[in-house]
Amino acid sequence: MSENSLAYRGNIKPIVPGPCSGEVVLVDGYISFFGEVDPERGCLIDLENVCFRDKILVFKGTRGSTIAPYVIYALRKNNVAPRCILVADVEPMLIAGCVLAEIPLFTVERYEEFVELVKSTHSNVYLEVCGGALLLYKRE
Amino acid sequence: MHLTLEQEKMLRGDYGWAIAKAMGIIVRVGEALGAEELVRVRHAHVSGISYSTIGKYGLEFLRELALRGGKARVFTTVNPGCIDYSGLSKIIDNSLVEYQKLIDESLEKMKFKLVYTCIPYFYRPPLPGEHIAWGESSAVIFANSIYGGFTNREGGPVALAASLTGYTYKAGLHLLENRVGRVEVRVSASLLKVPISAIGLWIGENIKAIPCIRGMHSVLLDEVKNMLASMAASGNHALAVIYGVTPRGTFRVDLEERVEVENSILENYTGGEYSGSSILGYVGCPHSSPRELVEIWRLVRKYGRIRRGKLLVTIPVEFTELYRNIVLELKARGVDVATGTCPVVSRFKEKFDYVLTNSGKAFFYIERIHRIKVKLAGVEEIVRELSGL
Repeated sequence: MSENSLAYRGNIKPIVPGPCSGEVVLVDGYISFFGEVDPERGCLIDLENVCFRDKILVFKGTRGSTIAPYVIYALRKNNVAPRCILVADVEPMLIAGCVLAEIPLFTVERYEEFVELVKSTHSNVYLEVCGGALLLYKRE
Repeated sequence: MHLTLEQEKMLRGDYGWAIAKAMGIIVRVGEALGAEELVRVRHAHVSGISYSTIGKYGLEFLRELALRGGKARVFTTVNPGCIDYSGLSKIIDNSLVEYQKLIDESLEKMKFKLVYTCIPYFYRPPLPGEHIAWGESSAVIFANSIYGGFTNREGGPVALAASLTGYTYKAGLHLLENRVGRVEVRVSASLLKVPISAIGLWIGENIKAIPCIRGMHSVLLDEVKNMLASMAASGNHALAVIYGVTPRGTFRVDLEERVEVENSILENYTGGEYSGSSILGYVGCPHSSPRELVEIWRLVRKYGRIRRGKLLVTIPVEFTELYRNIVLELKARGVDVATGTCPVVSRFKEKFDYVLTNSGKAFFYIERIHRIKVKLAGVEEIVRELSGL
């Protein structure tokens, strides 16, 4: 991490525990996995070029269809799943999807503050979860 | 989490692989939500059974559970599939029938009741305070808000796991302390001229806490159903307290905010002007109730027949027999009736330029899945438009 500087340190709660570090893809809002996510490509349908394969997917929470766990499971089977998921609000069907697909899931304390910082760097950050701490490094 | 001896045996595999897998899902989701124990459920409703939406991996998941001994331990109903089960529709594409059949065989093997509908409360309305485990976002919010049943927005696999074990985790809306209305939403009478689904879409996107809705006393239950389904599509609502409807004792109120829904803010939720010549009218998302079916029949008779574009009505499979004469007359008057499915979980045989619907849920998903422009309208406006009069 020598070329990066620590830009933010916050608290994070593991919901589906597991390792989580890498580049961040931020979606500013709520997602319905069914209808808004392409399980073949690992991308958002409405937002071009927003793909999250092997990256950290950050969004506010889920909405819409309860088919979501199957879409998340298909992302894993198609090898286009995110490395881990960070949200502000968590609901049962997202947890079920992450349990089935074995994708680590976390809720972020002070989500808005964290997201503002990611936005200000245009997502040019590297994120790492260590225990209950979220470390955000700005790329130099 | 505290598990009883029976639940521990299930988890350990004493009752077979399928029950152990199902119990594992419930315990892990429950632990993540801080549940201290499981709760027995009376009715599971399994969403995510359409091949068009869950694809080959979902199919494999369901087949493995069925082949390795999974059986319903409680009354279990299933959501719509991706084919028209009565073969009446010329609009719904049945080309995925071979794959859907494999799913259906698995569901039958697990002893689920194959109702193929998103209105399972038509078959078994939950009792106030009764614990159930339902998938299907529109059915969940209807069960909690109208009947006072207790269910979370279980994802498809969790509802399935609850069916196979007879239990779900006791957290979220299974606890009265979490069923607390925080935002009062006032709907003025003048607004009720706008398709009520638009109000649902607005609430879904703009209000995150449990809303308490005032001003619905003169609204038909089917319209409330459309509003609730819209809220659960554009948002993640599982419960709305509707004054005068939601059973007492199944919710609490602790208001922090009051909002008034105004006409001007709903404009963005009804869709733009339509263009193009190929038009589809669509009613039945969630599936039409008997009252809605009769209403469509009355309106189609009033305007004669469908002369312009197509009108699609989706209903539960069983209605084809129960309301045989109505269904046959609708068909004779040019209406396309599809059973046990809907455009949200299936594909069309032909291309349409735009869709006119009374359903905010269909509005939300058809735009995203089929990439067709959608406009909200009342049922009479839809029938009149398509009658060409």
